[in-house]
Amino acid sequence: MVFRRRSAVYMLLVGALVLFLGPFAWLLDTALKAPDELRALPVHWWPHHPNLSNFRDALTHIDYFGYARNSLTIATVYAVLVTLASAWAGYGFARLHAPGKKLVFNVLLSTMMLPQILTLIPTYLLFAKLHLTNTYVPWVLWGLCGAPYLIFLFRQFFSNMPKELEEAAIIDGCGQIRIFWRIFLPQSWPVIATSLILSFSWTWGDYIAPALLLDDAHTTLAVKLAYGYVNAHGSPLGNLVAAGAVMYVVPVLALFLIVQRGFVAGVATSGLK
Amino acid sequence: MSTGQITAPGAPSPSGEAAARPGPRTGAHSARGRRSLSSRRALSFYVFAGPWVLGFLALTAFPLGYALWLSLTNADGLSDNSRFVGLDNYREVFTDPETMSSLARTGIFTAITVPLTLAAGLLLAILVNQPIRARGVFRTLLYLPAVVPPVGAALTFKLIFDRDSGAANGALDALNLDGISWLMDPYARWVLVTLTLWGAGNAMIVSLAGLQDVPKELYEAARIDGANTWQSFSRITLPLLSPVLFFQVITGIIAAVQSFLPLLISLDPTPRGVTAVPEGNYLFMIHVFAQYFANGRYGYASAMLWVLFLIIVAITFLVFKLSKGAVFYAVDPEPDKQSRPRTLGGK
Repeated sequence: MVFRRRSAVYMLLVGALVLFLGPFAWLLDTALKAPDELRALPVHWWPHHPNLSNFRDALTHIDYFGYARNSLTIATVYAVLVTLASAWAGYGFARLHAPGKKLVFNVLLSTMMLPQILTLIPTYLLFAKLHLTNTYVPWVLWGLCGAPYLIFLFRQFFSNMPKELEEAAIIDGCGQIRIFWRIFLPQSWPVIATSLILSFSWTWGDYIAPALLLDDAHTTLAVKLAYGYVNAHGSPLGNLVAAGAVMYVVPVLALFLIVQRGFVAGVATSGLK
Repeated sequence: MSTGQITAPGAPSPSGEAAARPGPRTGAHSARGRRSLSSRRALSFYVFAGPWVLGFLALTAFPLGYALWLSLTNADGLSDNSRFVGLDNYREVFTDPETMSSLARTGIFTAITVPLTLAAGLLLAILVNQPIRARGVFRTLLYLPAVVPPVGAALTFKLIFDRDSGAANGALDALNLDGISWLMDPYARWVLVTLTLWGAGNAMIVSLAGLQDVPKELYEAARIDGANTWQSFSRITLPLLSPVLFFQVITGIIAAVQSFLPLLISLDPTPRGVTAVPEGNYLFMIHVFAQYFANGRYGYASAMLWVLFLIIVAITFLVFKLSKGAVFYAVDPEPDKQSRPRTLGGK
């Protein structure tokens, strides 16, 4: 009975794995096919002469490294700033008290419900007036403010730290900034890691904001990838798209696989407790 | 990180106050000492919350006000002489058949994907919670698609469902069936649903966290009492999991009504161009983009987004009301109420 049930679990899981990993397999498969194989009928399940030239061409057909550098710059700058700023604000919400705090906190929570695009249209017009489009200043500004979700994450973490931590420091004459910087922040590396990874991959994956705010030279890989691979007649080059997409997705997946243990726990518990 | 308290985040009255108890009190016993200490503490709260508050005012509140103003004008981004048109844009939102049908389509999309994702995530969570070999590997691999950036996911699905070179038609061909134009009507909507479901690993992880908090003793007790698998699932697992499922329903709806994945699936290989999005995938957000980018109707697009926001708020409120009896909190969602210091206006 138990044995039968267990093998049913394995069968269902293996079936799910095939469905969930199949798309990755097809992406890789397409990236390894020669260009004319894409037009072959019937469809070639495996590339007959697998080679890596698509990857080379994908790197040169568009200025791949240039766009990747843009993406990397935006994502790194934003991730570092937003993590620090969110920890900063999260500490205030977790550990300090002031009149009006509840109101501020409720505003913070309700901004999570705002459709991002609702503020993005006027923000675009605003930045255009300030001549900040085609620069990365908007990401710096967004980063410095912190993100509500990450603030919430840090707040939850800091709330659960023992009182004794700061009591001793206060007796020693530490100010709140020192307590935050020297005591609380160093203790919170699991949240810092989660926040860095989340915010990095949001920005790496974001399409709307760069499409709106950046021109062709400053834009990110996510935007360029979506329309950059066409031949002289404007028809899409499927295998270059696939090769480009593999190189775009793999760093994110690799990062995730390296940190997944702590990350999955962080994501799972963040919003819930 | 676990406190053993399960609350629904984003609730109108969150447990915020309760969990964040005021900091420790030092030896300041005189009223005056306490006041100066608490005002210093209040000041430091604003030092810490300040950057967010400023950012909120400049980058959220101001743009929101601007969006509200825009929605009352006929601004098009080209001419400077946009003028106040009152509620005309809002009237148009509710009378334009294209806007209304895209809204209805978004409702159907949400009604299909949210329950399916929830069910798939729950099923997978139950499976990877079984005492089996390599379940860590299963968890990781099933979660993997949820990590793929939307553009990468959309491109991948475009390749799979390509008319000529895609795997889907390859499979049909192997079965001697005719190929299908998957990315066009009437099939495009199912490609979109499949693509959305591909990320069910997220729901799996959240449900899994909930499952792991269910005390094992409850199942043992139920088994001794003669409960079968279905009974312990429906009487123990589901009620204890309901706050987690409720959280997913709310966040799922909010995400689904804002979905712009069809834009990425139908993206034309020309800069900032969108090929005709198949009618079945012409969701509300796509209509907003079309009005905004293609027609430059900033005013009308802003009015549409305000309507969407009000709908999100209304749905969230409704789901909260409807779920009152169905969501079961093992622990009082507002803990520590009694332990609040009396100095803060306690009874």
